[in-house]
Amino acid sequence: MQAVPEGDLGALAILFERHHRPLFNYFVHINGNRDLSEDLVQDVFFRMLKYRQTYQPERPFTAWMYQIARNANADSAGKRKLEVGLGDKEFAVVNVADESLKRKQEISLLKKAMARLPLDKRELLVLSRFQNLKYEEIASILGCDVGAVKVRVYRAVRALSAIYFELSGEKTA
Amino acid sequence: MNCEQARTQFVDYWRGTLEDAGGEFRDHLAFCERCRAEAEDLKDMWSTLGTLPEQDPSLSLRGRFYDSLRNWRQREAERRQPFAWMRHPAFQAAAAMAILVLGIGAGFLVRGRDSSEISQLRGEVYNMRQLVALSLLQQQNASDRLRGVNYTYRVEPDDPQVLSALLTTINHDPSVNVRLAAVDALRKFTDGPVGRRALVQALGKQNSPLVQIAILDQIVELRERSAASAIQLLESGQDVNPDVKQHAQWALRQLQ
Repeated sequence: MQAVPEGDLGALAILFERHHRPLFNYFVHINGNRDLSEDLVQDVFFRMLKYRQTYQPERPFTAWMYQIARNANADSAGKRKLEVGLGDKEFAVVNVADESLKRKQEISLLKKAMARLPLDKRELLVLSRFQNLKYEEIASILGCDVGAVKVRVYRAVRALSAIYFELSGEKTA
Repeated sequence: MNCEQARTQFVDYWRGTLEDAGGEFRDHLAFCERCRAEAEDLKDMWSTLGTLPEQDPSLSLRGRFYDSLRNWRQREAERRQPFAWMRHPAFQAAAAMAILVLGIGAGFLVRGRDSSEISQLRGEVYNMRQLVALSLLQQQNASDRLRGVNYTYRVEPDDPQVLSALLTTINHDPSVNVRLAAVDALRKFTDGPVGRRALVQALGKQNSPLVQIAILDQIVELRERSAASAIQLLESGQDVNPDVKQHAQWALRQLQ
C-alpha cells in the first residue's frame, strides 16, 4: 500500500487483483446483493486511494482493508436504510444450479438464516469463517481484544444455529 | 474449568486451534454432557457454514474498475484547474439537498395533524404491547421470557415500567441466554441517563463472563466514562474470569 504514489496507480491494480474476490464474497455474505457488492468492492479500492495516509505498516493490511470495507458497507446501508436485518429476497439470488436438490435447500436455508442474523453477528461469521481471518486481525478490525472475539463468534454461531433450526422446523436443544 | 470458561474455547475447538488449555477443555467436555452436546451441535453448524460456496464477481467488474481508475486520474488532473469546485458533486449535492429540505418542510405544513381517532388507536396498541412484554418477562419458561425481551423492542424507549422489568431480568434472571438478550434489548433505553446508570450498576451484579463482556461492550460503545470505577472494581475482583479482566482493561483504555 505504501507503494501507491500520486499518479502511479500500478500498485493499486496489484492489490485489486489479489483482494477483489475475497472482498466481493465478504460483501455478498453481508448484504446478499451481487450488484451492490461489486459497487462496494470498487468503492473500497478508491477509499484506499483516498485515505492511503491512514495506513499503518505495522498493522496487518487485511485489517485495514476490512475496516474500510465495513465503513463502505455501513455508509451504503445507511443510505438504503438496511442496517438492521435484510430481506430473504436479496439472499435468494444464489447460483446453485449445479448442486443437488438437498444441497440447494440446505444452502438456501443457511442463506435465509444468515440474513435474519443481526448485522454485527453476521459480519463476525463472515470474517472468521468465510474470510478465515486470524483472531488478531478480527480484533484489530473491530477494535477489541482476542478473548472478546472468541466469545462473540461463539454467540453468533449459537444465534445462527437457533434461527437455522427454527427455519427448518426442527427443535433446538 | 467451568461451563462458562469452556464456552470461550468453543471456537478454538471448532477451528482446531486449541492451545495449552486444550487438555483442560477436553476434560470438561468429557464429564459435562450439556457442554459436549452444545459444542458438537454448534460444531456441525460451523462446518455447514464452511460449505457455503464462494461466488465469483461478474467479468465486468475488472473492466469497470480500470475504467474508474482512469477517470479518477483524469478528475484529479481537472481538480487542480481554477473554478473546479463548481463542478464538484458535493456542491451540486448541497444544492439538491437544500431544495429537498424546502420540499419536506412544505409537505409538513400541508399535512396537518393526525386525527384523534387514529391517535387513540395507536395508544391502545401500544398499551397492549407493553402488557404483553411485561407479562412474558414474568413467565417460568426461559423461552417465554426471551420472547418477552424481544417484545420490549416494540415499546417506547422512555417507558419506565418496561425499563424496570428489563433491569430485573438482567440482574436476577437465572438463564444466561435471557440475561444476554436483555442486555442487548437495553441498548434502546440507554439514550437517557436512567438507562445508562442502570447498565453500569448491572455490571457489578453479574457473575457470567458472557454477560459481563456484553455489558462492557455496550459501555464502551456509549463512551460512558462514569462506568470507570465499576470497571476497575470488576478488573481487580477475585474469581473474575481472566478474559473478562482483560476485556475490562481494554474497556478502561477505550474510555480514557
